[in-house]
Amino acid sequence: MKKEYGALVVGAGIGGIRAALDLAETGHKVALIDARPSLGGILTQLDHQFPTDHCGMCKMLPLTQRDQSSQYCLRKGLFHKNIDIYLNTELTGLEGDPGKFHAGLRRRSTFVDPSRCVSCGKCAEVCPVRVPNEFNAGLGERAAVHLPVPHNIPNHYVVDLDNCQRCWRCHEACPTGAIDFKFEGRKDFHVAVVSPDQEIIANLPGWLTAENFPVHPETAGEAVLDSIAAGLDCKLLLLDLDLSEAEAERTLRRALELRPGLAVVLLTAPGKEETAAALLKQGARETLAKPLDQRTAVPWLDKLYMRLVSDRTLDLEVGAVILAAGFECFHPNDRPQGCADLLLYGQHPGVFTSLEFERLCSSTGPSGARLERPGDGKPLRRIAWLQCVGSRDVKQNADFCSSICCMISVKEAVLAKRLTHGEAEATIFYMDMRTFGRDYQRYRDEAENQAGVRFVPARPHTILPGPDNDLLIQYYDYSGALREEAFDALVLAVGARPPKSMERLALAAGVEVNDWGFCATKALSPNRTSRLGVFAAGAFGEPADIRGSLIQAGAAAMGASRMIRVYRGPREEVPEEEPEYTDVSREEPRVLLTLCTSCPTLAHNVDLAALRARMETLPGVVKVAEVPTACTREGWDLLRREAEEAKPNRILIGACLPYVHVPRLRELGEVLKLNPALMDVVDIHTATFAGGNGDRAARTCETASLLAMASAKLLGADPSPLPQATVVSPQALVVGGGLAGMTAAMGIADQGFKVVLVEEAENLGGLTMNLRYTLEGDDPVRFMEDLVEQVEKNPNIHVLKDSRVVLSRGRAGRFVTVIATGEGTAHTLHHGATILATGGHEARVYEYGNRVHKCVLTQMELEQRLAEGSVDASGLSGLAMIQCWRSREEERNYCSRICCQSALKNILMLKRRNPELPIFVFYRDIMSPGFSEHFYTEARRSGAVFIRYTPQNRPKVEFEEGKPVITALDPVLGAEIQVRPDLLVLSSGVEPNDAAETAELFGVGLTADGFFQEAESKWRPVDFLKHGVFACGLALGPSTMRDSLLSAKAAAQRAVRILNEKHLSCGNVVAEVRHSLCSRCGRCISVCPYGARSLDLDRDMIVVDDLLCQGCGSCTAVCPNSATVLRGFRDEQVMAVIDAALAREPGGEARP
Amino acid sequence: MKNATLPPLTFLREPGAAPDPAGLAEVQDIVRACMQCGTCTASCPNAHAMDLTPRRMWRMLLFGLFEEVFQSRTFWLCSACYTCTLRCPRGLPLTAAMAALKRLAAAGDDAANRKKALFYQEFMRNVEKNGRVQETGLMFHYFLAMRDPLLPLEYTPLGLKLLRKGKLHFGGGGQRGALAPLFGKVREMEARP
Repeated sequence: MKKEYGALVVGAGIGGIRAALDLAETGHKVALIDARPSLGGILTQLDHQFPTDHCGMCKMLPLTQRDQSSQYCLRKGLFHKNIDIYLNTELTGLEGDPGKFHAGLRRRSTFVDPSRCVSCGKCAEVCPVRVPNEFNAGLGERAAVHLPVPHNIPNHYVVDLDNCQRCWRCHEACPTGAIDFKFEGRKDFHVAVVSPDQEIIANLPGWLTAENFPVHPETAGEAVLDSIAAGLDCKLLLLDLDLSEAEAERTLRRALELRPGLAVVLLTAPGKEETAAALLKQGARETLAKPLDQRTAVPWLDKLYMRLVSDRTLDLEVGAVILAAGFECFHPNDRPQGCADLLLYGQHPGVFTSLEFERLCSSTGPSGARLERPGDGKPLRRIAWLQCVGSRDVKQNADFCSSICCMISVKEAVLAKRLTHGEAEATIFYMDMRTFGRDYQRYRDEAENQAGVRFVPARPHTILPGPDNDLLIQYYDYSGALREEAFDALVLAVGARPPKSMERLALAAGVEVNDWGFCATKALSPNRTSRLGVFAAGAFGEPADIRGSLIQAGAAAMGASRMIRVYRGPREEVPEEEPEYTDVSREEPRVLLTLCTSCPTLAHNVDLAALRARMETLPGVVKVAEVPTACTREGWDLLRREAEEAKPNRILIGACLPYVHVPRLRELGEVLKLNPALMDVVDIHTATFAGGNGDRAARTCETASLLAMASAKLLGADPSPLPQATVVSPQALVVGGGLAGMTAAMGIADQGFKVVLVEEAENLGGLTMNLRYTLEGDDPVRFMEDLVEQVEKNPNIHVLKDSRVVLSRGRAGRFVTVIATGEGTAHTLHHGATILATGGHEARVYEYGNRVHKCVLTQMELEQRLAEGSVDASGLSGLAMIQCWRSREEERNYCSRICCQSALKNILMLKRRNPELPIFVFYRDIMSPGFSEHFYTEARRSGAVFIRYTPQNRPKVEFEEGKPVITALDPVLGAEIQVRPDLLVLSSGVEPNDAAETAELFGVGLTADGFFQEAESKWRPVDFLKHGVFACGLALGPSTMRDSLLSAKAAAQRAVRILNEKHLSCGNVVAEVRHSLCSRCGRCISVCPYGARSLDLDRDMIVVDDLLCQGCGSCTAVCPNSATVLRGFRDEQVMAVIDAALAREPGGEARP
Repeated sequence: MKNATLPPLTFLREPGAAPDPAGLAEVQDIVRACMQCGTCTASCPNAHAMDLTPRRMWRMLLFGLFEEVFQSRTFWLCSACYTCTLRCPRGLPLTAAMAALKRLAAAGDDAANRKKALFYQEFMRNVEKNGRVQETGLMFHYFLAMRDPLLPLEYTPLGLKLLRKGKLHFGGGGQRGALAPLFGKVREMEARP
């Protein structure tokens, strides 16, 4: 039967996970697939992300209904009841239309049965193969049977069949028989061979028979077709192309008619490749080059057999598809024109890619976070970073900026400083430091001024081996002097490339790719691909960092969610019944303790009888039951029967892999009417493996302790029901009617919820209404007109113009807000979610003669005048632009993001109208991330002259006869230059609109620059700490139209997640305040990382928003009076757990 | 040159002292997309001997400082190894730009530049005549063309060194005139409108 899902998400990297979670939280069933054997994409390899320089992936976990997913480290695993994960799985085809796609998947076998693998590692120990370890980016080696990442949960070994030598030692070494190479099946796997080649007919049957395959050799196609027709159950046909072309084709066609799905391998002699290519299109599976050599052909065929019998195909019916296959890092060895030889990559042990360096900095990396050179072990103390390796290079088809490498290098430099306690010298060689995000410039400044990272604007290009195995880097500085410096290590900041499988994936999904091989998207519909119902998330459409990927993923999720609703209707909206649990608070605790005994190592390493005996003496334990294989359905049923019999009110399960079992407790709870909070799973598996952890008795004792501790914790668990759930008002409020606000409103309204859109001005549109054309050549005027019309006509959107919010109370799911209109009427609104999109404006410029001289304009003014014709390009004799006016230095130390792109689009417009017009651009770093780099190249090519300046040496502007005279130092010429243009255009940048009042009304924060402060700049980019309030557009940070559209759509989906719920209830572990003990010192308020606590002045008490509280326990730790307690972690409970841990064994010694 | 203050740039439509405005515009077109990364300078084997680094020279061309460019010896020192062209991330044909500058300078009125071009002219003439370089002949004609009686003395030590190593070639050889058709074809092509 075909499985049905709301959406299929291809690629389980960070973008795919975000999109899947957004959809799952909205109530859609999601299939999440990835071609790799592990989740997390490239982020599994990166331990540190700026600006915190830590990981923080767990911040992405659901905050509402959080007990529906496991609340564990997200790098280790993802468990959500609405998400099914298929690893090692690729999309092979996508048929049908939005709302009802049929997706074909192929799931590659890992040859290790995950239900049996106990991750003991014996297989890898005996494996003779050594290949570069992908997890460590090629530093270090792994066996053919390996753990793809060391930290996954559950973590099972996989066989890399391509590198397997077929020695079968792992199969023999496996204590649980988990590795299956299908030895038994060979004797039933009939292979037919058709070949006129006597040598093949003579040799091949013998070779294959030796491997136990029954072989049926024939010299003519007709003969084999006859025997197939007569009932030969042949699974593989080897078809020699030395047959005549017509015979080969007929045999293939007939054979596939007789046995659809038959695997046909074409034996291709040199010169027959074209015939082979034609037949591959007709359904042949693979080609095998002739002449055949026993040493290569037999393993190849044997592996093909294993694949054929082990791989599975899946068919899914899905409403929408999200492609999030991410990107791959450029590799210096990749192409013939790769730069490995110039940069000594692979020739000198001190040259790394940025990914390799990231692994060197990781505790799970090859050197355990000691910065040492692999090979000679020399400590790395002088490290250089080289930017733009494989980016911004037209010769490598990379006329784009990878957007991520600048910040990665700054982070790595800071990290290197920290790992070496400031000892390392870090130098970054760059062309433009692209710190285009809101807070990136400050991070860079900190790196430069506080950490002491050196930034050198140069592109060294030859690296030479020096004495003492040093690396000599030669470069010419701007003054034209040759410099040479010695380094221990060189890190190549490698750019992003489309994934290697892109071509196949694009073909399978039926989407187009752009000139650079990334998924084609349009600037004004950036979450959509060329195929309706298929969306692009993460870095699939354009290179992006984590923040950008997550916003893009949120927007893709919104697109998919809308598509599912529009095309599938209410089919999925069967309300799920809320489980009801018996109130056991007045009962004596009765613990059922079950032990999973399937694991063979358990019986070997632990004295089960003694363990059982000791468990029976524990207080409250009514029964100790042994359940074989708790991880299987049978085991689980047995467990349920035991529970029904013993009628416990607490259940403790000792098994492996609690992460996997915990989600199933909910299921059990529904059957037994017992709150899953009163059940627990303890890992009794790791302790039995813990290497040199003593003898059998000690292990038994340790396992017993673990169980006793969990039992003590369960005894003390508070069985009283959770606080009442909040009823959600299914309506949203959007503040701000600009591009972002309107897009967000449309995103929510299209999914069937009411939206109230409040705009302060008389008209909708905001800042974007001032745009006349875009860099990509779209028509923003028309786009905005359409959008305004759609918003005003949408029956679900109620627009309040000339209105403002005057009061807002409440919390996620249930806000009450008062809105005053210009006419003096007030509306009271109940809404479940709020989106703030208060926008921004062009910064006001009063220097450089603006507003004094007519010849000084801002970029936006120039754009408007060019559009209306009052500036005539052909009548000008020269024009100058000054970028970064007052941006990127204190007061406004952020990149305004849009000015470089405005400048580029104005330059291209001017040059189109008057190619001879001299244009001079004074800039600090041109910020043209992603594919806008292409327009930078174009602008240079069109003849505009770009002159770099530094904040210490900015261009001077004077006016003579009303015309600007600009004097500046050109660093390349090393001389002062003076230009006398007709027009001076200032890139004044953007400022947020004054949002202080709005922020206070909704209880959200602002950054020092007045933008909205999101909950977490990387992992929760459109959320506020205050749950249920979201931000998007320019108010969140400087953004282009594309960025605003994406963040608006992402915010809309975040809001829909809440609106879609009928009730919002808190998790099991939340903090509570014992008001009689509380001294209102307020320390818990500042320490709470989720902003869940506040001082209620009216009632004079500290209140906890139980929806916001994530049960981290920081408040409990900081409270001087023990007034704050954490449900599930009360003092007495924790003490009891400690007692249990230290308890003497009956009649035994105290544990050391 | 270093840190010298250049005359203020003005927007002259015609490059002032440029020998061939159309030719110069072509060279400018070649280097317009340059982003001053300096890869050309870093990869140039002769950069150490140049008075302007290639990067700076391209920059001057873009600014229209033609006089300074033609006063420099940078482009004369280009040995056409094509490393810069190969490595330029913008894919600019920089060696062609160097060659164009040589051509323009040789055709201009500047006496010093015409003199610098003499070596190239004599070299090509020699190759055309002999089908390969015939060093003694080249030396003879070059000194003659330079009209500087002291110049041969200056080169004597180098000449002796080459002689000792057997690097000087005294006439003969079977290739004489072998390249004449090639040169003829080029002349014919150049004469086309």
